[in-house]
Amino acid sequence: MASAPSDSAPSNRGPVPVAAFTAHKILVAGGFGSGKTTLVGAISEVRPLRTEETLTTASVGLDDLSGVDGKTTTTVALDFGRITLTPRIVLYLFGMPGQERFSFMWDELAYGALGAVILADVRRLGDCFASVNYFEKQRLPFIIAINCFDDAPSYDPEEVRQALDIDQGVPVVLCDARDLASVKQVLISLVEAISVSRSRAMTPGR
Amino acid sequence: MPPDDKWRRRGSGPVVRPYAVTGGRTAPADGEVLDLIAVVVATGRSPAADDPVRLNPEHRRLLGLCDQQITVADLAADTALPLGVVRVLLADLTQLGAITVVRQRPANQRTGNDVLQEILNGLRAL
Repeated sequence: MASAPSDSAPSNRGPVPVAAFTAHKILVAGGFGSGKTTLVGAISEVRPLRTEETLTTASVGLDDLSGVDGKTTTTVALDFGRITLTPRIVLYLFGMPGQERFSFMWDELAYGALGAVILADVRRLGDCFASVNYFEKQRLPFIIAINCFDDAPSYDPEEVRQALDIDQGVPVVLCDARDLASVKQVLISLVEAISVSRSRAMTPGR
Repeated sequence: MPPDDKWRRRGSGPVVRPYAVTGGRTAPADGEVLDLIAVVVATGRSPAADDPVRLNPEHRRLLGLCDQQITVADLAADTALPLGVVRVLLADLTQLGAITVVRQRPANQRTGNDVLQEILNGLRAL
């Protein structure tokens, strides 16, 4: 097959290979303890991804790395999952830490993502605000999934919508992050919402 | 499938130690920063004998995992190396011509509607 020309590919290294599969990214956001790891784990193997706040090169000397203390770095372990939908389509789910202090990595995680599931714990709804604001600002499609714990009172999705001040067009669904069928439906709802938002964007005047 | 234990760093300690394998470099020297789901693959070309960038064991370990097309995230998880370290090492390997990035679609282009539909069908079939 002919190689794909690309002005950003290494120019003197020979033909660029044809992609054997395409990788797509969906984010799973929500507060601490909202069930992100559980949700990812319900539908795929959960793999840990170690990442850290970038050290400035000034603080990392070639001679004495022991001089860098823990205060200048933040180590974060992210969870991600991989779902092979077809031999050519692989979906990656990345757990996005919701706390503001990890916001430095949100742009990197969100880059090129299809959309996001924001897991809401009704006992701590305020934990969602940062994620909601972020995705709205980035114009990244998202849905709210209310994680139903055994001991949490059941909530009307519309009450949660109002509490989070979410647009009418954004799906707010119930979810059991432990249950494969429920998590499947959450992802389906997100991808459907992405399709709908695109067709709306393409029909002005609606 | 349980993770392959031989790839785990035992007692890896503070995060600063993995940067020893990059000689203290915390960012790739040039070129774009590889996205988490950027895909790379080995070219099959060995580095020139007089190339200034030498392959250390972590370079070789990564290279060994690139026989098949693989994402940056999977490489980081397989090697248990921090993402930043993986990016620096992959940049070295790219510079040497030992690996290449597999272009999927221009970064500013969204996933096509037909692919979205395939994703939907794939999810429903799970």
